[in-house]
Amino acid sequence: MVLKALLLRPVLRRPWRFLVTVVGVAAGVASVVSTVAASRAAVNAFAEGIEEVAGAARLELRREGGVPEDLLATLRPVTADAVVAPVVDDVTLLTELGDSVRVLGVDVLADRGVRPLLGSPLDARARLDAVLLDGAVLLPRGLAATLSVTAGDRITLSARGRPVRIGIAAVFDPPRAGSAWDRVVVMDVAFAQELLGTPGRLDRIELAPRPGVEAEALATRLRGLLPAGVEIARPSGRREAIEQMLASLRFNLTALSGISLLVGAVLVGTTLATSVVQRRWSLALARSLGASRVQLAGAVLAEAVAIGLAGGLLGVLAGQLGAHLAVTSVRATVAAVVRGVPASAVTLDPALLVGAVGLAVLTALAAAALPLVEVLRTPPLQGLRGEAPSHMTTRSVITALALAGVFAGSARVLVGLPAWHNLPLAALLAALLLMLVPLALVGPLVEGLARLGSPVMSRLGGTGARLAVAALATGRRRVAWAAGAVAVAVALAVAIVTLVTSFRATVVAWSEAGMRSDLWIRPLATATGVPVGRLDPALVQLCEQLFGREAVDPFYSTDLEFRGRTVTVAGAAFDVVQHWGGVPFPGRRSEDVFAEALARHGAVVNEPFARRFGVHAGDRIRFDLPGGPLEREVVGVFSDYSRSHGLVVMDRADWLPRFPGASPQQIALFLGPGADVALARRRLHEALDGRWLVDVLDNRELKREVLSAFDRTFAITTALYLVAATVAVVAVATVLLALVGERRRDVALLRSLGGSRLQVAAVVVWQAVLLGAAAAATGVVAGLAVGVVLVKVVNLQSFGWSLQLDWPWAHLLRLGVALAVACLAAGLAPALAASRLEPAEVLREDG
Amino acid sequence: MTAVAELEHVSRRYHRGAETVVALDDVSLSLERAELVALVGPSGCGKSTTLNLLAGVDRADAGRVRLAGVDLAIASEAELVRLRRHHVGLVFQAFHLMPHLTVEENVALPLALAGRRDPGRVADLLARVGLTPRRRHFPSELSGGEQQRTAIARALVHHPEVVVADEPTGNLDSLTGAAILELMAELRREEGAALLLATHDDRIARAADRVLRMRDGRIVEG
Repeated sequence: MVLKALLLRPVLRRPWRFLVTVVGVAAGVASVVSTVAASRAAVNAFAEGIEEVAGAARLELRREGGVPEDLLATLRPVTADAVVAPVVDDVTLLTELGDSVRVLGVDVLADRGVRPLLGSPLDARARLDAVLLDGAVLLPRGLAATLSVTAGDRITLSARGRPVRIGIAAVFDPPRAGSAWDRVVVMDVAFAQELLGTPGRLDRIELAPRPGVEAEALATRLRGLLPAGVEIARPSGRREAIEQMLASLRFNLTALSGISLLVGAVLVGTTLATSVVQRRWSLALARSLGASRVQLAGAVLAEAVAIGLAGGLLGVLAGQLGAHLAVTSVRATVAAVVRGVPASAVTLDPALLVGAVGLAVLTALAAAALPLVEVLRTPPLQGLRGEAPSHMTTRSVITALALAGVFAGSARVLVGLPAWHNLPLAALLAALLLMLVPLALVGPLVEGLARLGSPVMSRLGGTGARLAVAALATGRRRVAWAAGAVAVAVALAVAIVTLVTSFRATVVAWSEAGMRSDLWIRPLATATGVPVGRLDPALVQLCEQLFGREAVDPFYSTDLEFRGRTVTVAGAAFDVVQHWGGVPFPGRRSEDVFAEALARHGAVVNEPFARRFGVHAGDRIRFDLPGGPLEREVVGVFSDYSRSHGLVVMDRADWLPRFPGASPQQIALFLGPGADVALARRRLHEALDGRWLVDVLDNRELKREVLSAFDRTFAITTALYLVAATVAVVAVATVLLALVGERRRDVALLRSLGGSRLQVAAVVVWQAVLLGAAAAATGVVAGLAVGVVLVKVVNLQSFGWSLQLDWPWAHLLRLGVALAVACLAAGLAPALAASRLEPAEVLREDG
Repeated sequence: MTAVAELEHVSRRYHRGAETVVALDDVSLSLERAELVALVGPSGCGKSTTLNLLAGVDRADAGRVRLAGVDLAIASEAELVRLRRHHVGLVFQAFHLMPHLTVEENVALPLALAGRRDPGRVADLLARVGLTPRRRHFPSELSGGEQQRTAIARALVHHPEVVVADEPTGNLDSLTGAAILELMAELRREEGAALLLATHDDRIARAADRVLRMRDGRIVEG
């Protein structure tokens, strides 16, 4: 009966209140789920691809710079114990798809996993011939369906800038379902080497132990056979290496989700606190009629659980939808860190579903607990009389201010602490504490508005504004919840735009100073703007013939391990770069650094490398390579915002002998002052003669490309405006509808005393505006503080990038407008409800 | 004598689900300037409905309600607002003060709604109802008698021609109630406003110039 009276009946009688609360919970959960699901989908794509496609392989052999093919002969003694499968594994552009695909070159005769892909034994022979003799490919069914092709059709793979038309031998059903197979093209290993320009080189050799052979025993045998530099590893090792490279990105995305969760939790708190406080009267009545505190608490908490469950499920669905929309943007970000991303669908992870719903229920319970305690503590008679307006006590104000001070002070201490295992834990905790400051401050702020703002507001906005200030002060507790939710959402948006604006300004300055080449050649890019694969080394010769050796700066790179972490080691034409200059070395001239590097066979490293490994100019760094150790002195540290993992660059004369036949990643052309760039580009295109398909960008296009890639990656800021505006609409509308509902008698009285419908509506709209303004004021201040922490500490500790701080005034203005519109929109429905109240009816009801 | 407000053959019905409740049935009355008229009758007899109709916060289903020369049955919403702002003062049994405004602000509210300011008038009325020392207090910090004195000051602040008071002493003890009644009578004389007072207390009604008795939505005596 108590449940019926306090839970079921109110929900049935006023379903909108229940629904609004559920929507509030759902909005909070959705923001978390969409961030987590989108980042997981993009990041997991690598790991899933490794494990799924590796199949039965238990061991694999790898070597820095690739495994020489002749190692297969060395492995003959173990062929009785294991199936030995050479693998070429790289990414290339599938022109018809406009996206990258993973090219998997395998030995179709030896690899047991490939035979079933060829289909029935009847067709298998012809298909095998096509693969072995014509270089045809095997296509997974999902990819074939996307391209609307089938066996016998042809596709175009653009590798090293060369478009190659290749037949499809068969379309196969992947052995296991999974998005890892969505972007894989299987071909014979020899044709893969030819396509990718790596003759005689394999990416790895996989070994699948035969039945009865233990992997450990096989590994022991292999150790005795293998030359130095070849590593015996498990496929999962590659996953770990990639996870390590993505650790910072993943950590920061998760941290962002955590902050979204805070926004969600406060929003849930707002809606639930409002819902409980709205029933203050009926709860008080139930108590006066004999209901125990346990009965009341049970009813309220049961409602919280119901709301948490419904909102959690709805939030997961909405979050999945959001993740589908966001995954492309996140993929592009991930692709910038690790080259070649297979597509990954957003799937509903049961753990995320359970976690999100559990989180929603817990948050709902926590949010219901505070107002519930207040209701239970209130004597029934007082509850029946309604909330008496009173000023915050000096003690409460001091407590709130002290709490804000403790949060801010603790944050100040935390930002001074170093990173923990390269993760900015303390700094992010500081950011979280700063986000809590607005929650502590909104109460005193509303109080201050009520006390000090009344005369000002009366002058500014007349009676409507004065009454609005007073009404907000009366419902201060609920108002504080709503303002807190909006403030945290605003703070989140402001913090991120501060980071993005600062980052962008830094990148603009860096590209202006450092990108001096007149033309830039790179492999074709995917729709998300990520170049795929490498260039044909023959292009370097072509460019040198056309423009002279002194104008051509090819950039070669490979990933190597340094002190247990993966870094990029690159080769560039130091003599060319020295002449044209432009690489930003803080405090030094580019020309001097490269002259020194050439004279001393030194290397230069980027800032993330220097910070991550504590390396400075003058230090020596060493890499263990198959041809012997490679040790170089670091002569300079340059600013670099193109990658967050370490980059070491040495002269190509040092690099190329270690990696013979390597393909360049890009080629920069310096044509000199006054050169006709358009003419040079035409000459280059004529020389390419359709044999190569590459992107040739001039200086302006390159800078634009860099910035558009940046803007695409950070398009998420627009989503943050939407989050802030949505939170504002839900929180403000919920609270104002509740306030109007509670203050029906006051509204009726106002009308009886001569207030027009417009005046009544204006009072409510003023409340919305004031609430939004109070929230925005605290949110902006906290957001700017968090932004500084992100720019100066989190970013530096995560990625090793020094950024200049650039205040996002234009964004703040836009956010302000979005917020004002949202608050006005949120105030309209309650204003309409208030203006429609018939005074006679309300006064008759109230006696 | 001129009538400042009158009801002619007025009826008012309310719908409660499928049931129709007749709140007023063919009621006529008029109110002269500075006159004190008491409406007496048991709960639910139609006293409050009569007051609401006269104050322009409710509309009649049949008959005519005239206030300051305007027929409220055909008056526009804007006209009703204007009449409430300038010609009527309201006093309720439950005081109905704005809880989030101070005493002084509550009294000044009708003027503020009409876009006027008259601090002198507010101060004068507060002094006359004895609330000057309490002018900065919120209603929740006042006794019942003090709240009702605030409501009376508010009802008179804009010099209305008619004050309607619905059981103004109903929520007060007899001593305080008598004091409030005395204050209302005194202010009525000083301000010259007609006072229509609903009560079911015969002792209060005896102080009126005229007593109208109601039962089942009709005036049965007076």
